[in-house]
Amino acid sequence: MGTITVLAGEVRASGVGKTIDTTTLLAPTDVRADPGECVVLRGPNGAGKTTLLRIIGGLLEPTVGTATIGGATADERDPSIRAAVGALLGAPTTYRDLTLIDHLVLVDSTWGGDPSTSDDRGLELMGRFGIEHLDDRFPHELSSGQQQLFRLALTFARPASVLLLDEPEQRLDTAKRGTVAELIRERTAAGATVVMASHDPVLTESLAGRVVDVVPAR
Amino acid sequence: MRAEATPPSTATTEVDDEELIGQADWVIGGDAARKGRRQAWYAGYVAVLAAIAYGFPIVQAAFRTSDPAWLRAQLSSPVALGALVLAVGAALWGVYSAGGFRGPVVPPLPWIDHVVTTPVDRALSVRRWWRLSLGGSIFGGALLGATLGAGFAFAGVAPWYAAGLAVLAGAVLGRLAAALWLWGQVRSWPGRDRGPRLLVRPRRALRALHADSLRTHSANTSTIGGSVLAGNLRTARLQLARPVRHARHARLRAGGPVAVVIRRDLLGLRRVPGNLWTGVVFTVIGTAVIVWAITHSAAPVLAASLGLVPAYLGFGAWAEGLRLQADNVGTPSLLGTTVRSEGLAHLVVPTGLTLGAFGVGLVVAATTGSVPVSAGLTVLALVALLAGAHLVAAFRGTPPSMSLRPDSGPMMLVLWYLMPSLLVLVVGTLATWGLRRSPEGILWVAALVAAVVAFGLSRMERLSIEHRV
Repeated sequence: MGTITVLAGEVRASGVGKTIDTTTLLAPTDVRADPGECVVLRGPNGAGKTTLLRIIGGLLEPTVGTATIGGATADERDPSIRAAVGALLGAPTTYRDLTLIDHLVLVDSTWGGDPSTSDDRGLELMGRFGIEHLDDRFPHELSSGQQQLFRLALTFARPASVLLLDEPEQRLDTAKRGTVAELIRERTAAGATVVMASHDPVLTESLAGRVVDVVPAR
Repeated sequence: MRAEATPPSTATTEVDDEELIGQADWVIGGDAARKGRRQAWYAGYVAVLAAIAYGFPIVQAAFRTSDPAWLRAQLSSPVALGALVLAVGAALWGVYSAGGFRGPVVPPLPWIDHVVTTPVDRALSVRRWWRLSLGGSIFGGALLGATLGAGFAFAGVAPWYAAGLAVLAGAVLGRLAAALWLWGQVRSWPGRDRGPRLLVRPRRALRALHADSLRTHSANTSTIGGSVLAGNLRTARLQLARPVRHARHARLRAGGPVAVVIRRDLLGLRRVPGNLWTGVVFTVIGTAVIVWAITHSAAPVLAASLGLVPAYLGFGAWAEGLRLQADNVGTPSLLGTTVRSEGLAHLVVPTGLTLGAFGVGLVVAATTGSVPVSAGLTVLALVALLAGAHLVAAFRGTPPSMSLRPDSGPMMLVLWYLMPSLLVLVVGTLATWGLRRSPEGILWVAALVAAVVAFGLSRMERLSIEHRV
C-alpha cells in the first residue's frame, strides 16, 4: 500500500505557456489561487483557457513556466496531484453499461466512501443538480444539458482540494447555472480552491474572487 | 420495374432496369465495376495461394504428430462432433449478428442516394454487392473445407474422398452463412416480411432492404474502417456497441475500492448479455479443445494452440472493463483507485470465469479418464497468459509510426493488432508443449508467462504516463 501526500489547494502558475511547433496555444500567464477562493479565467475563444486549466491540472506539460499544486509540481502522474485535483475538462469517459447512480456509487466507493450510505450521497448530489429522476438512465439516454449536469455531478462526487472547471455553464439554462454557482460557492466555503474558465458574466460576477484575463497569443 | 405493384388505374411505362443500372454504373463509377471484379478475382487468387502455402501445411503438420487411428477415433467421438456442431453454430450465429451491423450489401453512399432510392428494382440495384459477398462466402467456405479436408487426408486421418466432401460442406456452409448474413441485415431495420423465408428468397430479401439501413451500414463500414486504420479501437467498439437496455433497475452495490470495480464488471456483463454469451460460447469451445489436448498424451500439441484462439476471444468478451479503463487514460482522474489496482480488479471477472470453464473441463475429463498434474499447471499458466495478453491488448496505445508508411504500413498495422493474440499463441504453445514433456518445465513456463504479464502491466503504467506531452 502506497502513501499519498495530502496537498493543500494552493494553485500557482508562474509564466506558464504552451507552444507546439510554431503555434502558441497559450501565451505566458500567471495564476494564483488560494484555498477557499474561486478564480475565473476569462478570454475569447482560442485564448488558451482550456490549455491553462490542463497545465494547472498536470495533464499538459508547459513549454515555459511552472505550475504547482500545494507546492508540488502539477503532474498528473503524481498520485498526490490526482488525489488533490478534481476536474471537468471536456467530456469524461463514462461507462456505457452503468446508470447515472451507478457511476456516482462507483466514484464514491473508490474514494473510500461509506458503502452503507453511498447510494444516499449519490442521489442527494443528483438532487442538487436536479437530475435525481434520471438515476436509472444510461449516459447515452441524456440530453446535452442533462449530460453536462451529470458530468458536473461526477466531478463533484469525488473529494478534491482543487476543482478545475472548463465552462461549467455550457448548455445549461439560467436556473441551472444558478444551481452550479451555489454548489461552487459551497465548495469554496468548505476550503476548496476553484479555478474555472467561463464566458458567463453573471456567473463570473457572482463567483470570482479574482479574474485572470487570458490574452490570445496573437 | 415490377408493374404488379402499380395501382391498376394508373398508366404504366415499360422501363429497362438493367439498362438504367448500366447507365448509372457508368456515370457514377465509370470503369470501377470492372476494376472491382478484377480486385475480387485477385483477392481470391491470393487466398488460394495462402491456403496452399500456409493453411494446408499447418493443418497437415498439426495432425501428423499423432497416431492417425487414435486421432480418427477421437475426432469421430460424440464430444468432438458436439464441439464441431457448437463451433459451426457459433460461427453462423456470429455471421447473422454481424449482419445487423454490417451486412453483405453495402454499396457506396453516392450509389445509395442516387440509384438505390430511384424506382429501379432494388434487387437489381444492390445485386452486385450481394453477388460479391455471396461468391466470397461460398468460395471462402469451399477453400476452408479444401484446406482442412486435404490436410486431414494427407495426415492419414481421413480418407481421400473426405477432402471432396469437405469442399462441398464448406461451400454449403458458405452459402448458408451468406443467407444468414443478409437476413441479419434485413432484420436490422424494422418492417414487415422479415421472417426466415427470406433465407431462401434472396431477391425478396434484397427488396426488403431499407435505404436508410443501407446508408447506416455503409456509414458503419466507413467509420469502422477508418477507426481500424487509425488504430482508434474505442471508436470502432462504440460504433459496434448497441445501446444498453437490460437490467436498468439493478444497482451497483457500493463497497471497497477494488470490490466495487469487480462488481461493476459483473453488472456490466448482466447489462450487456451479448458480451456474456459471446464469452461463454468462445470459452467453452476453447477450453474444451485445450483440455482435450492437454489430457491426451497422443493429441497433437497444435490442438491446444487452435483452442487458444477462441479462448482468447472469450476472455476478451468478458474484459470490457479493462478496455473502458484504457479509454479513460489521459482524462482527469475520477476514480480513487491507482491505475494498477483498477487494472488488476478488472481482470478478476474474466480470469475467474475462464478458470471456472477450465475447471469444469478438467472435471469432465477426470470422469472419463485420468488428468495428469501437468494439465492443472498448464491451465493455470494459460489463464495467467490470457490475462497478461489482454492487458497488452487493452493498453496497446496507438499504432507505431511505421504503420503510416505506404509500403510496409499495412503489414505493421496488422501485426500491431495481432500482437497480443500472437503472444498467446506462441507462449501458450510453448507452455503446453513444455509442460506436457515434463511438469518440471513449470519454472521456465512460469517465467515466460510472468514476462507477458509484466509486459502488460508495464504497458498499462507507460500508457498512463505517455499521454502527458
